[in-house]
Amino acid sequence: MEYLLKNGYVVDPVNKIDCERMDIAVKDGKIVESVDESKAKVIDVKNMLVMPGGVDLHSHIAGSKVNIGRLFRPEDHYKDYEVKSGVRRSGVGHSVPSVFTTGYRYAILGYTTVFEPATPPLKTLHTHDELNDIPIVDKACFPLFGNNWFVMEYIRDGKLEECAAYVAWLMRTIKGYAIKVVDPGGVEAWKWGITSQDFDQEIPRFGITPRELVRGLIKVNKMLGLPHPVHLHCNQLGMPGNYKTTLRTMDAVKDLAAGDRPILHLTHVQFNAYGGVDYLSISSGADAIADYVNKNPHVTIDIGQVIFGDTTTMTADGPFEYKLFNLLRGKWANSDVEVETGAGVVPINYSRSNYVHAVMWCIGLELALLIKDPWRVFITTDHPNGGPFTEYPRVFSWLMSKKARERVLKRIPRLARVRTNLKDIDREYTFYELAISTRAATAKILGLNNKGHLGVGADADISVYNINPKEVNPSTDYKMVRQAFSRAYLTMKDGEIIVKDGEIVAAPVGRTYWVNTRAPKDVEDVVIPEVKKRFEEYYTVEFENYCVPESYLAWSAPIQPLEPAG
Amino acid sequence: MSDMAELKLKIKVPPQTPIEGEVLTPDNLAGRSVNEILNLETWRGNRRVKLSELFTVEGESASNPSDLHLILEGDLRKVRHIGARMSAGKITINGPVGTSVGFEMSGGTIVVNGDADAFVGMGMSGGVIEVNGNAGDAVGSGYWGTRCGMSGGLIVVKGNVGAEVGRWMKGGTIRVGGNADVFTGVRMQGGTIFVAGNVGAKLGAAMVDGKIVVLGTVPNILPSFYIDEIRPNTKVDGDKIQGPFYVFYGDITEGGNGKLFISVEKNQHLKYREAYLL
Amino acid sequence: MKVINAVLCPGCGSLCDDNEVYVEDNKIVKVKTECALSASKFLNYNKERNTKPLVRVDGQLKPTTLEDAIERVARMLVEAEYPLLYGWSLTSCEAQKKGVELAEEVGGVIDNTTTVCHGPSILGVQDFGDPTCTLGEVKARADLVIYWGCDPSSAHPRHMRRYSSLTKGKFRTPEQRKVVVVDVRKTATARNANLFIQVKPNQDYELITALKMLLQNEEIEEQEVAGVPVEQIEELAELMRSCEFGMLFFGLGLTMSEGKDRNIDAAITLVRELNKWTKFAIMPMRGHYNVTGANQVLTWQTGYPYAVDFSRGYPRFEPGDTTAVDVLSRGYNDATLVVASDPVANLPKDAVKHLCSKPLAVIDPHMSLTAFMADVVIPSAFVGIEEEGTAYRMDGVALLMKKIVDPPEGILSDVQILDLILKRVRELKKGR
Repeated sequence: MEYLLKNGYVVDPVNKIDCERMDIAVKDGKIVESVDESKAKVIDVKNMLVMPGGVDLHSHIAGSKVNIGRLFRPEDHYKDYEVKSGVRRSGVGHSVPSVFTTGYRYAILGYTTVFEPATPPLKTLHTHDELNDIPIVDKACFPLFGNNWFVMEYIRDGKLEECAAYVAWLMRTIKGYAIKVVDPGGVEAWKWGITSQDFDQEIPRFGITPRELVRGLIKVNKMLGLPHPVHLHCNQLGMPGNYKTTLRTMDAVKDLAAGDRPILHLTHVQFNAYGGVDYLSISSGADAIADYVNKNPHVTIDIGQVIFGDTTTMTADGPFEYKLFNLLRGKWANSDVEVETGAGVVPINYSRSNYVHAVMWCIGLELALLIKDPWRVFITTDHPNGGPFTEYPRVFSWLMSKKARERVLKRIPRLARVRTNLKDIDREYTFYELAISTRAATAKILGLNNKGHLGVGADADISVYNINPKEVNPSTDYKMVRQAFSRAYLTMKDGEIIVKDGEIVAAPVGRTYWVNTRAPKDVEDVVIPEVKKRFEEYYTVEFENYCVPESYLAWSAPIQPLEPAG
Repeated sequence: MSDMAELKLKIKVPPQTPIEGEVLTPDNLAGRSVNEILNLETWRGNRRVKLSELFTVEGESASNPSDLHLILEGDLRKVRHIGARMSAGKITINGPVGTSVGFEMSGGTIVVNGDADAFVGMGMSGGVIEVNGNAGDAVGSGYWGTRCGMSGGLIVVKGNVGAEVGRWMKGGTIRVGGNADVFTGVRMQGGTIFVAGNVGAKLGAAMVDGKIVVLGTVPNILPSFYIDEIRPNTKVDGDKIQGPFYVFYGDITEGGNGKLFISVEKNQHLKYREAYLL
Repeated sequence: MKVINAVLCPGCGSLCDDNEVYVEDNKIVKVKTECALSASKFLNYNKERNTKPLVRVDGQLKPTTLEDAIERVARMLVEAEYPLLYGWSLTSCEAQKKGVELAEEVGGVIDNTTTVCHGPSILGVQDFGDPTCTLGEVKARADLVIYWGCDPSSAHPRHMRRYSSLTKGKFRTPEQRKVVVVDVRKTATARNANLFIQVKPNQDYELITALKMLLQNEEIEEQEVAGVPVEQIEELAELMRSCEFGMLFFGLGLTMSEGKDRNIDAAITLVRELNKWTKFAIMPMRGHYNVTGANQVLTWQTGYPYAVDFSRGYPRFEPGDTTAVDVLSRGYNDATLVVASDPVANLPKDAVKHLCSKPLAVIDPHMSLTAFMADVVIPSAFVGIEEEGTAYRMDGVALLMKKIVDPPEGILSDVQILDLILKRVRELKKGR
């Protein structure tokens, strides 16, 4: 099938194209130089904004904890439902949508790639079971390593090569994409009832600190040549004053950087950017963090923006969720996973008039606005922790319009304005920067060379928005920005039209990416049998049954690691 | 006051499969001609059917819901969610009625001259429901997971109610003329429940606030309720109810401030608790 | 003879995956397993097997072709205004997904056996959440294991030796663990417990209330609660308070006695309370090997774990109204498809009466009681023996069941049968 998208204003930062009137040619699922206009289907997108399909690197859409969230919130679903129609299966929202609805709603926003950022290895067959059911978007999942007994023991014993072999084996066996670390050591401590873990404090019964753990895994990441840096959710999430831990964490691995590739991605940093000493005095630490990130290229971040309204928090950070439960005294789910990690789920309603929530809201936007390099700061809500992904367009409007921010700032508690920096920030994102932060840069940091841009050879994942960048001033017309980005005029995936004028017209299967990691054979030949022997003592499943067969994935898309550095 | 327009819908044949009754409210039917009403569609099982296929329609509608008296006749046991989200006007149901009558209603009156099923007044925030028969389980409760039941309004059941009447209730009043089954007032957060007859076990379980008055017998009181005093009488919505009553407070395990008023006369087996009066 | 290792047992919710099955000439000849139930399952599954599609003609079940049977089931579902699709717990997730697709396509109600066992547990979770863990956490750390209203020695024979009190974990040996049983009578499990508490039938809620009060240091103004002397309740409270990791397993004794979901409310909030002192978790002892899978699949595909009503074109959930027992008792449905379950054998009388009075189709490997009452019966393959598929253990861990032998000639899997029905349903709907 050949298409020609004519006359649109193309924004393609990878290829340095900024709102230029250009035609995009599509053939056999890829962007090509040109097509025969007489044979191709011509779609006139005059005066519309044409971007690569959105790439979301951090969104909780599949797996055990997501399903716990769905299960224990029938009240989240019963007023937000989708009727079966045409190619659309029925489903429900709101903050924990069912799988079909998840894929459709992302496609309607113009997103074509969405990664699940945290899967407990033992339960990753489940994650893939759900990912298989999410239509349209390409996806992947990040296995959790930050509280893993094998990893902690290898690092404690200084056995980095063995650790790398274990990580390689695990990554390819369960079809994972990147090393995810959540509250390093803290979840293991929580399994003994301890609710706080300091970055430089020994992890109970394991003899190493989170600092050593993170450093070890970054080295392992380099050894294995994984396409994405270590993806880290810092210790002390949610705690007033935690910005200091975040600074310490970033600084702790600075010496491991080599070249200009970032080696650490910090996720939903808003939740880890608090000043103050308690919730009464909580303030913004975003300026200190932004300052550090601006001066240190070895780090990338995503913001984890808060949206006022009802949503559901869910994370592998079990101890944090227990603390949140104690504050809110509502529902609480916890799910510790043997040997590896944990999870917690707690519903929350972020309120404009709540001082703490208002400060949180300011901080996320501050991070995006104070960090100067859009290639290193990505827009997320840590769906659904900060808010549902369907609210991304609202976040875009806040970033592109000071006026839009002021409308909200006017209605939050005065002290929240005083103890944060947002009111003094004038910067407004351009469409170009928006495209970097939501497509070009995220694809790049994930190592997805065929995504996030519209150059020849890229996957034909394209989104078109009914907004004229030459006529609309996002600074004043922020409502138009929000509306336009809420319903793509056209979404194309692998050269097939998925969304037409905000409606789903096709729902093909998306890819599941995973990295076919390997360590040197002689090390694997020692490590894997060792791991197999320990299975009996550690786990309650057979070593053989731990594997997720490649055939299990609806559309398996393995990626070879990058050339390992040394 | 008979200024209300009367619209009578009589069910032609009691359905075999369930009928969706949420279209049957003064809010939905006001401002429509009888012809339009006949052509309105609802669900019978998974089929879309016109109201004309299900009901005969007599009378006339009104332009304002508050002026419309909708009368439903026949065996409506399989008609669900009648009166859902209604805000004004009156519905009289002459016959047994299906589940969730008055679901999330905020105003107006529903009268059932027959037995009601489960979930009467689920999520109600205002208005009046009167059942001149028995009702099923979870009267005045809330949708699953909301942790919030009825928050306002009045439900009166002349006969018996099932289990868990007033589950998660936050406000309003429920009056039961007959008996109530187990877990009356479970997880109550406010409001009042009055039972003229007997109640089952686990009265007021996990209550944090609110008031339950029982004129009949209660088999036991949970250990998480302490006896407070004996009162000669009490009030329910301003009406004086003659006692004397044992007054218990709890549920202690929830740090609760709820109160149980239990008839002394009918519950002599609880006399031993008097020893714990200060 | 060949041996297949790491075989999952299609038995109970323990979903043990370490069985060794010996096969010769497409027959299972030997099983190495520690569980009598499991051995029986593998060696006897072929007994009283139905191998032919059947249709009721003049009151008698007579053999027919697969095509005819599929046609009849498809027609039955398309013509029905409110079909019920029930069962699902003894088959693979792949089949359960087909079930959801089919229920959505025909605008019916899909419900699984949760409705008669752990539905109350789910209702409790929907109000309070779920402080839980995987079974390996129990193995690693638990020094206190409580079995409440369940009897693993009989119903989950390897549970204690594989996952809890009788196993050795990284931080705990069996000697370092204590077992408590709370039940209405002294079960087999109770006989080997460190502490057995005999609770009066239907008063588990009262007992849990008393436990909460003791944990909160409140006075109990009685000598005994729920038939248990307060000193004994204090003994249990002290065990709970002072352990390092406590685990509460519970079963139908709690979910099906007076109170049902309120009992689980009490159990969950008790465990939440205990987390103030120490680490404590709770887990339901799921009966069928893949009832957990049915809940998981239904939840991620529809948002709700059971009792899902598609009659209006989107998923709706009103337990007590859209639950199978209630649909049947009220006589809502006008046709039923039963897959991998035997409702005639275990649903209440009123429900069964209505079930048998309407068109009924059954997909099952065996001639169950329900099959004997059906109008159409389609034989299917045994998941986990003749058919591979995904199943979820009671703690939510997903595992792949293996295909050990081929099914008998002409017998398809649940997935294949449902697929054929779905295709025919879509053709019929287009024609309508």
